[in-house]
Amino acid sequence: MTKDLTKSSAHFLHSPTTRALGALIVVIVLGLIFNADGAFLKWGTHRDMLRAVSVYGILACGMTIVIIAGGIDLSVGSVLALTAVLFSLISIHWQWGAALAIVLCLIAGACCGALSGFFIGKFKVQAFIATLAMMVFARGVAKWLSGGQKVSTAVQQPDGSYEYGEIPEIFNFINAKILGGNIAVVTVILLGCILISWILLKKLRQGRYIYAIGGNEEAARLSGVPVKSMKILAFGMSGLFSAAAGICQASQEFQGDPEAGISYELSAIAMVVIGGTTLQGGRGSIWLTLIGILTIGYLEKILSINAVGEDKRLMLTGIIIIAAVLLQKNK
Amino acid sequence: MKTLNILAFAAAVILFTIGCAKKDTPQGDESGSESWKIGMSQCNLGEPWRVQMNADIKAAADEAAKIEVVFKDAQNDTLKQQAQMEEFISAGVDLIIISPKEAAPLTPVVSQACNQGIPVIVLDRRILGDNYTCFIGADNRKIGKAAGEWIVNKLDGQGNIVELKGLMTSTPGQDRHAGFREGINGSEINVIFEADMKWLEPNARKEMESALARFEDIDLVYAHNDPGAHGAYLAAKAAGRANEIMFVGIDGLPQEGQAYVKQGILSASFEYPTGGEEAIKTALKILNGKKVDKEITLDSRFFTPANIDKGGRELEAN
Repeated sequence: MTKDLTKSSAHFLHSPTTRALGALIVVIVLGLIFNADGAFLKWGTHRDMLRAVSVYGILACGMTIVIIAGGIDLSVGSVLALTAVLFSLISIHWQWGAALAIVLCLIAGACCGALSGFFIGKFKVQAFIATLAMMVFARGVAKWLSGGQKVSTAVQQPDGSYEYGEIPEIFNFINAKILGGNIAVVTVILLGCILISWILLKKLRQGRYIYAIGGNEEAARLSGVPVKSMKILAFGMSGLFSAAAGICQASQEFQGDPEAGISYELSAIAMVVIGGTTLQGGRGSIWLTLIGILTIGYLEKILSINAVGEDKRLMLTGIIIIAAVLLQKNK
Repeated sequence: MKTLNILAFAAAVILFTIGCAKKDTPQGDESGSESWKIGMSQCNLGEPWRVQMNADIKAAADEAAKIEVVFKDAQNDTLKQQAQMEEFISAGVDLIIISPKEAAPLTPVVSQACNQGIPVIVLDRRILGDNYTCFIGADNRKIGKAAGEWIVNKLDGQGNIVELKGLMTSTPGQDRHAGFREGINGSEINVIFEADMKWLEPNARKEMESALARFEDIDLVYAHNDPGAHGAYLAAKAAGRANEIMFVGIDGLPQEGQAYVKQGILSASFEYPTGGEEAIKTALKILNGKKVDKEITLDSRFFTPANIDKGGRELEAN
């Protein structure tokens, strides 16, 4: 009896979720102490944190799926830039309408991811290499499509002068806040992506396959898991989410910036790892990633409202990442 | 066999891409023999401002007959830029324009070109010593100071300001900061919040959200570039406070700062001229054997809603 209790409480203390929550709680307590004259206690601060972290969080959703499948996706930031440029071109310059712009961008993103997945599954290219290639390639396409300039409402005419157009309604909609101004639309999109990831990973057969190939690819293959198509699915989902993030990024900047998203993949990986999903694959969950997203988001917000200098921010972020990961370590 | 196929495919793609790229480089005049070849080494094309610089050079070169400009992009890599300069020297171009990534490592290669009789125009960022033909650039400190003085005037000498700084490890960031502080010196203007947004709009928006959460009373935001000012505006707009705050930025590119001023988002944008047109004009003088000044400081303009339709106003020299 007593033994059972100790065992279950030990189990509770050592569960990945509890340990991930530990890091988040530490960060929030820091925020309560260094609350910047009460700014941390206002709801607006939390709402803005959730907005600012949403784009990274959406990338982290795709990253979680890929990492559980035993891979890694370095191309998310570049695919984000590519779709941000594409979204702005289609909806601002070509004026094809919002629905078509969104659908085409999501398809483009999913194709980028699926193409990486194809090389990884079919030709056994390492995920690191295949997505590195996609990272460089997609950045190139983004620069080519945009001519190296930001794609905005200032449209260059053949004679070199500029004409200034109107911003399409869809940008305002995605950039807005809903529910009485209490939550940003991009945060709702993040929650949607988390939900989709959860359904895929926990409710569908494909999800079990993804865990299986991440755990032991050979064993999974021998027991009949379609490894190749599952890899295309996992990386395709990451590309799809990257495209969603790109649309959010463009809407929040009112332009498509071919330089957007540089090093975002590192933030996304940090969010996944801080949550406790291991890079070995086969283990982890989207809820852990949500905790990771909040931990990084709160950390950045607290440093920002206290106007901490860049040098100290980088040092503190490094310390928090390593501390959170150590907290996750199995004894 | 499979490997061969893949290799053949890759080769075809690469050939196709290079074939496409070739078309973009301007061909020399048909009359040919008299045409000058200018090498332009750009330190990176990641910043819109530098894309604009190349565009300005290309436009000026297209206008002047008998000039062919070969553009190279060093992708923010000093060693790559050194190699490009060596390529220009061995190709025997008539003149080199370089916008160097940094001074010390690129000084020797510029000297090498000069010593071999190739004139070199250094654009925007400096190199060490004086073994070059001509330096063309604008003065960030002067522009920062002008922005500061304009703000003092606009706010009647008092108010609360948020300063969103560019990368403070870069000289433009340091100069735009120092010049600004000089400009507001002696007034009752307080900088109540400052943060490094690293030239990036999403960062500026994030930092501005924090400033808004902390301070009820903000009169003006001074950002070291226009995207930063725009990001701050978006944050204020989302908080319903855009009408009570003024936004001032630097760079004044037609598709960014000037557009924002026109749309009523920025109260002012201070131009940081690219010098592309000036570089080609100077190059022509050098190639025609005329004498040019060793130092050319570019005149700068500023744009406000009142003067934007007239193309901005010159900053007064002081």
